[in-house]
Amino acid sequence: MRRNTVKTMFAKLALAAAVIGGGLQAASAETANIWVRADGSNFMPRIVDAFNKAHKDQIKLDIIPNAEIIPKYGAAAAGGTAPDALSLDLIYTPSFAAAGQLEDITDWAKSLPYFSSLSPAHVKTGTYKGRIYGLPFSADSSVLIWNKKLFKQAGLDPEKGPKTWAEIEADAEKVNALGGDIKGFYFSGNCGGCNIFTFTPLVWASGGDILSEDGSKATLDSPQLRGAIDLYRSMVKKGLVPEGAQTDTGANFFAAFAGGKIGLSPSGAFAIGALNTQYPDIDYGITFLPGKDGGWSSFAGGDNFVVTKGTKKIAVVKEFLDFAYSLEGQTILAKYGSLPVRGDIAKEALKDLDPRYQVAAEAMAKGRTPYTVVFNDLINSANGPWTQMVNEVFFGDDVDGAIANAQETMQSIIDQAPQK
Amino acid sequence: MASITVASAPARARRIGVSRRQWIGLLYVLPAVAFVTVFFVIPLGMTAWMSLHNWPLMGEHAFIGLDNYFAILRDTRFWNALKFTFYYTLIVTIAIFAVAFPLAIFIERPRPLTNLYRTAFFMPAVVGFASASLLWSWLLNVDSGLFSPAAFDLGLTERKVNLLATFQPAFWSIIAMVVWKVAGFTMIILMTGLQSIPQDLQEAAVIDGAGPFARFRAITLPLMRRTLALALILSVAGSILAFDQFYIILRGGPRNQTLTAVYWIFNQSFVSFKLGYGAALSMVLLVILVALSLVQLWLLRKPEGLD
Repeated sequence: MRRNTVKTMFAKLALAAAVIGGGLQAASAETANIWVRADGSNFMPRIVDAFNKAHKDQIKLDIIPNAEIIPKYGAAAAGGTAPDALSLDLIYTPSFAAAGQLEDITDWAKSLPYFSSLSPAHVKTGTYKGRIYGLPFSADSSVLIWNKKLFKQAGLDPEKGPKTWAEIEADAEKVNALGGDIKGFYFSGNCGGCNIFTFTPLVWASGGDILSEDGSKATLDSPQLRGAIDLYRSMVKKGLVPEGAQTDTGANFFAAFAGGKIGLSPSGAFAIGALNTQYPDIDYGITFLPGKDGGWSSFAGGDNFVVTKGTKKIAVVKEFLDFAYSLEGQTILAKYGSLPVRGDIAKEALKDLDPRYQVAAEAMAKGRTPYTVVFNDLINSANGPWTQMVNEVFFGDDVDGAIANAQETMQSIIDQAPQK
Repeated sequence: MASITVASAPARARRIGVSRRQWIGLLYVLPAVAFVTVFFVIPLGMTAWMSLHNWPLMGEHAFIGLDNYFAILRDTRFWNALKFTFYYTLIVTIAIFAVAFPLAIFIERPRPLTNLYRTAFFMPAVVGFASASLLWSWLLNVDSGLFSPAAFDLGLTERKVNLLATFQPAFWSIIAMVVWKVAGFTMIILMTGLQSIPQDLQEAAVIDGAGPFARFRAITLPLMRRTLALALILSVAGSILAFDQFYIILRGGPRNQTLTAVYWIFNQSFVSFKLGYGAALSMVLLVILVALSLVQLWLLRKPEGLD
């Protein structure tokens, strides 16, 4: 998911520099190197700092820009300079494992007393051919956020978010009627990652899916997907969505709502922390992404913790992960923008935080993640079939043709994927 | 006997002198040779070697012979990207010359403020393609940019038009941006060509009663052949390798209609992580580009009997 404005990226880089600079301490103990993508630049330095203060062994953290972490890791692995471990966007775990790049940590994982309460979506994507290669580290769920101030102005109950598709559209229409720059609804219409995160939950909550359970079949031709498309199309047609949405490749995914002129927007748990710290003036509510006639669902996003095959620092890495899974670790994560990944202590870790986190945590617990070794090609690529389809079906004329085309392309990519 | 010895001595000395001069010459070009070897020949060789492998970003690579090249033959999306690249190259080259030639003629002769004009027209050429693309992607933004909001505020359009949402306006926006960026550079090249034409030829033609158009066709164009060849090859090669503007402003959109050949190579290598296949695509593009440049040189070669 691309949701970092240039401004926050600079802040993160500065932070990264500070952390890397301050990371070198006691030389006697072992030091393991860990990478994280820029999305984790808020919580990761905090938890590493806390670990380094309390332990003899040390962690050296590098923060890598989101778009570069995969190629950079690939190059480093080829040159033998890969980090000992990596906090990896969980959707990449199957393809990394398939490439034979990761250490099998099945036995250690299963020996953890709380193994069964670790985020199931993470563990599922962390498992390849029955062995575990990745364990949950950070988590992000998809939710629907609404602007309470605009709801009030439009004569809606500011404390009540929509619970069905019809309510979403009706609320968006009422807010939109305020006129001027104010629009009812926002989504990034040319961003595959954004829409797998916030649009597919609408489909899941209604009983449909876009991929079969094992990722071997594309299943786009379903009435649930068609219904969710019609909801978005109808809102676009009525002018409830700003013009820029059609070409937004994700740069405005969060910024549009944060501007304060959007009634409703599907978003993520990360938005709670980001709004609270960067846009404290915006009064917003959080609810689940609903199905057509009720129910709800969520994407389970975030990072899996994976270990580079053959690393000599595995003991340090395990020590660090143990710390991250402790109540102290989970609380640090929650406080700085990630949801807890241990279901059994999630409530406790969140108890002093913004109550809106509870909704996001609940969404996470039932969150889903499509399982495929070609996630990048299918979904995230700006030129992949999923991105092209969402843009065509939301704004184009030939919905059936676009779905059929995407179905065919996705299936052929799945069929051509390397089978090892 | 003696005379022969005497005669051969200076000859040997000359031979030694020649070979020493050759060695010194070699020494002079050595840095350039080393540079080309390290930064061109070796990477090219590695690319060719990689193109014969199944070479994923991570994990083991395996030798597969020419399989990548056979796969390219079936890769319709690559050929479509190449088709679009040629279309773009044709349009943008015509557009660049259509703007650069009049500008070159305008600034060639000294007149008040010539230096100011030259600088102003050339200025965009010193901006990097990526920075220029970022600038224009803001200018073209429908909500916070310049063109659409300005047209709307001036009452030219009924609502803000998203220029990047459909193919034609998006494509022509890119053409406009590239012309803005590149025409100044082509203009300077063409200007040097214009200035190298002897003034007395033009004057003789004027005395013979040739009009401005006839002079342009019969004197200016033929004498600029080599300059034109240089400007054309630079423009065509640059356009066929186009990537930045389509990646940054359009992301290959709307709906993947502006994917260029290099964009496709980038996607295969760094989105799908198929480095070997990307290398094979690069080799194919290299061959196409070399062939195109040879054709252009041949078309613009010096006709016999001239000069």
